[in-house]
Amino acid sequence: MNDDYLWDASGPPDPDIQRLERLLGRLRSTRNAGEFRVKADAADLAVVRWTSARFLAPALAAAAAIVMMVGATWSTVRVASPPSTFSYWPVAAIEGRPRIGSTALAGSGRLAVGQTLVTDAVSRARVEVGTIGEVTVDPDSRVRLVSTRDGHHRFALASGTLRAVITAPPGQFVVETPSATAIDLGCAYTLHVDEDGSGLLRVTAGWVSLQLAARESFVPAGASARIDSALGPGTPRYDDEDREYQDAIDTFDFDEDPGRRASALRALLARTHSGDAVTLWHLLSRVGEPDRAAVADALADQVAIPAGVTRDQVLRLDRDALDAWWNALGLGDATWWRKWRLENW
Amino acid sequence: MDHVLELPRVPVVTWRREPETLAETIRAVASGDQDAFARLYADYVRLVHAIVLGRVPRRDVDDLVQDVFLTAYVRVRELRDPAAFGGWIAAIARNRATDYLRQSPRQEPLPEEVAGGDPIEAETLAVLDVVRKLPDAYRETLLMRLVEGMSGNEIAERTGLTPASVRVNLHRGMKLLRQRLGWTGHE
Repeated sequence: MNDDYLWDASGPPDPDIQRLERLLGRLRSTRNAGEFRVKADAADLAVVRWTSARFLAPALAAAAAIVMMVGATWSTVRVASPPSTFSYWPVAAIEGRPRIGSTALAGSGRLAVGQTLVTDAVSRARVEVGTIGEVTVDPDSRVRLVSTRDGHHRFALASGTLRAVITAPPGQFVVETPSATAIDLGCAYTLHVDEDGSGLLRVTAGWVSLQLAARESFVPAGASARIDSALGPGTPRYDDEDREYQDAIDTFDFDEDPGRRASALRALLARTHSGDAVTLWHLLSRVGEPDRAAVADALADQVAIPAGVTRDQVLRLDRDALDAWWNALGLGDATWWRKWRLENW
Repeated sequence: MDHVLELPRVPVVTWRREPETLAETIRAVASGDQDAFARLYADYVRLVHAIVLGRVPRRDVDDLVQDVFLTAYVRVRELRDPAAFGGWIAAIARNRATDYLRQSPRQEPLPEEVAGGDPIEAETLAVLDVVRKLPDAYRETLLMRLVEGMSGNEIAERTGLTPASVRVNLHRGMKLLRQRLGWTGHE
């Protein structure tokens, strides 16, 4: 057999090489969509980094910064002179020796855009998120700083646990996970991601939007939402709900058996009481049409349908109607969230 | 004042960019042309990625590739012969990978390369492990071809090797790889 296919994929296909291409091609460089951030002082170039954020970054520290972004998608280059500083987040080791990239962290260091902070089983780290808060990275975690600029700070949690305390206005701090994106809406929370992409979000203050494509969950303080590796965010529930109730939510959200899901829904509706409004509101858009009226009635028992909203609108899943009902729960204003997402997503 | 320039999408396997020559690009980068550096990155990222992937755990490959381009950007004015850029940045990549292995005492052989439950991923990692044990010249050339999708001519153009050398590396490397994988049916 000649080597034409091996040389440039011309000639008769070689099955072995095709097999290797299929297998090893999965490892191809995927950083084409990344960005380079280049900064230099007047005399010399000092730092180059990339990020993979979709948001293009204006220079944070100085109008003289150079920000260059290279990508498989179209990218933007900002050129100015003379640049001075480099965007990063200060990192401090709390326990053990976390790594930034391939370098073990001794005491404190800097996490630059594009770099990954890794903790092992005995290390923890604290990251200062600009001036808006801090993130504690627990053992056995991998987080990457995706981007940082005024009003937009983005982490990617590949696996492990982080605890965020954010004091900035809502929407400034975003954490990507393999199966959902957590958007801070003024809050403190713990986010855990397993190696398979499943996870758990637990909110202790404010609220968090958790979403995967069109599926989104608003998780208020005192509540949690599971994350499924395939389906994304599950239905929020308050942490003080009993185990049986929470299991029923998980079954309804993630079980593949329609019968078990239906039974779980019946159990949830049979046990509604004060405090379940958040769960019920999410179920409105997650149940099938035949069950929606029962969920709406259960929710109306907790929080009346607001003025100007009709039951029919709710049953049609009219977004404005659902948002108005959410606002009536008194947990936060969905209108603001919609506007933010429209502008930023 | 900032100027915003649009950069073209990085092609998947198209490498030639006319009419600017590599020497012109290098000179532009050396004079601080960010746009030129972006093009240089687009042209050479697969070469660097293949070299690093052949040496270090996947989880750190992206960071090290980044470091390689950082070094290249800072030191590009030290490059006397712009035509030698490919070999030069390849050397930086090998050195950076070597430094990484030296500085990481717990790199007991590529510890993170553990597949999950995906059988395809398991086979991928098993094959990668075999490729990584090939001699350098074979390993790098095969990774450029099989992982990055570069053709023999593209590999020669980027690395500075002659096409004949690349052909030999591909042929012998593939032969050795088949043997080590126990794939002898199509040789």
